[in-house]
Amino acid sequence: MKAASADPPVAPPARRRQTLVALARRPAAVGAAAVLLALVAFVVLFPLVSAHDPNDVDFAKTRQGPSLEHPLGTDQFGRDLLARVAVGGRTTLAIAVAALTIILALGFVWGATAALAGGWVDSLLMRVVDGLFAIPRLPIAIVLLVVLSFRAQSVAAIVAALSIAGWMLTARLVRGHVLSLKTRDFVVAARATGATRRRIVRRHILPNSSGVLLVAALLELPTVVVGEALLSVLGLGPPPPTATWGNIAYDGWQFARLWEMLVATVAIVLFAGAANVLADAVGDVLDPRRRGTRTLGAGRLSQ
Amino acid sequence: MSLLAYAARRLLWTVPLLVGVLLATYALLRGSGGSPFRPPEGYIGVPETYERLLRRHYHLDEPWLVEFAYWLENVFTLEFGPSLVLRELDVAAIVRDSLPVTLELVALSAAWAVPAGIALGVWGATSRSRLADLLATATATLLLVVPVFFVAFALRQYAFADWGLVPLGWDGWRSKVLPVLALGLPPVGYVARLIRVAMAEALQEDYVRTAVAMGLRRWRIVWVHALRNALAPVVAAGIPMVALLVTGAFFVERAFAVPGVSAFFVEAARTRDYPIVMNLTAALAVVVLAANLVSDVLLALVDPRVRDQVGREGS
Repeated sequence: MKAASADPPVAPPARRRQTLVALARRPAAVGAAAVLLALVAFVVLFPLVSAHDPNDVDFAKTRQGPSLEHPLGTDQFGRDLLARVAVGGRTTLAIAVAALTIILALGFVWGATAALAGGWVDSLLMRVVDGLFAIPRLPIAIVLLVVLSFRAQSVAAIVAALSIAGWMLTARLVRGHVLSLKTRDFVVAARATGATRRRIVRRHILPNSSGVLLVAALLELPTVVVGEALLSVLGLGPPPPTATWGNIAYDGWQFARLWEMLVATVAIVLFAGAANVLADAVGDVLDPRRRGTRTLGAGRLSQ
Repeated sequence: MSLLAYAARRLLWTVPLLVGVLLATYALLRGSGGSPFRPPEGYIGVPETYERLLRRHYHLDEPWLVEFAYWLENVFTLEFGPSLVLRELDVAAIVRDSLPVTLELVALSAAWAVPAGIALGVWGATSRSRLADLLATATATLLLVVPVFFVAFALRQYAFADWGLVPLGWDGWRSKVLPVLALGLPPVGYVARLIRVAMAEALQEDYVRTAVAMGLRRWRIVWVHALRNALAPVVAAGIPMVALLVTGAFFVERAFAVPGVSAFFVEAARTRDYPIVMNLTAALAVVVLAANLVSDVLLALVDPRVRDQVGREGS
């Protein structure tokens, strides 16, 4: 059936600008966005201009403190820590982006299916989400990681483990959002004119879900970055000499060097913290009623 | 719905969840191709005769569903059987020796962290100076966002390695102080942040204004009337709290050489020692689900409205 359904108000540019303006009025949001951008820029650009290769071993200069030549010092193999933090950040953020993509896709499909199907399908799907929510993520991720690493390359295995252990919140957010969209006039009109379910999802649900997906992405970003670190510090990260923020912390742990661990931890905390502040702000701007419940989001950082 | 009926209903949900978790873990481990008898590099396997015995004991040559059924029967009769890789160890012995240590660590940490978090949060919400509030919030946030591995490692570096203040391990109170301190810090921040928001809201309520107008003492209003209502979100946050503590335990145990379950768990997962992974998962799942059950019932006790919502919304 190809009935012309009422065209949706696909996030009109005016509203998007409104959101941006509202965000720009919040100093915390601007600061957090600046920190995120600065870190991403550093991670992407610094390896291009760095005088040191992150994997260059120099046994004459091991375990040095900060100096002009090595602003963050060197590690136990004399490798430049600043260069390693930059390159490690690339790997960590690549893992995070890949995991986020899977989390959003999985969470959207799961949540939208539950909301649109309703009835027992909805109950069943959400029971599964509740059940997975009840279990700490780290043990799930460890079992998944170990299982997957027999089949896949280690970075891919980490991405899969983090995303399979972490899509539930997105599914829940999407379900709530789609439930409210479902009753909106343009969706009801589309259904009345005989649009297929697929068309409704493509044309109406997905374009109007960008806000909730953005919030979900910002909420999950810290969890996957910290998640990579947690797995790596347990010795389950990508094999050496691959640098990730988690692996640098693990090196610090193994070679009993607080400085090295501090460097990695600061990078992780800055990034995760900024993403969290931004997530709170975006959530508040998009849904003012939500204000005040934000602490629940922040608590998920270390789970 | 009465509280008892509510608790019973929650308990019934727990059983399929538990079996689901175990089945999923089992299927994952068995379906993924690795074998404990062909261990990854760096690990020693077991001799062939012993392998045959183990295969027979765990019915490893049968279809995995049959194997799972046998194993489930063993769990319910508490016959955990031998480890596949660590020959000298019985899985039941591992669970028996290491699980109580982890439970004690988690319980002790929660025991100080929750009251400390409540105190910090109430202080932030009730203090009249903005600076104190800011200080409390900043402290709480910092405690929450600094990864637990860093805290555990830093504490060990200074207190154990540099100053030699405490012994490692889990023997006597002196060795327990630091692990319990380290594991409790993130939950302090978490609880404090929750309480601060809830308390600030509770203090705006009409009944508080009434109490003030009636001349009740300030501490009584805060600590008795307002706190009772501010506690609901903390109780509701029981599940993330458990997750925070279980996650932290992996790193705290490692840093302070606490003989809990986490080292066995990581190591066994790596060597694909199914009996250990499965039984530790079972044990952990029971503990976590029990904690969730308790927190659900407590929440229903604090907030009776929750009892009537069961089954309607995805909690």
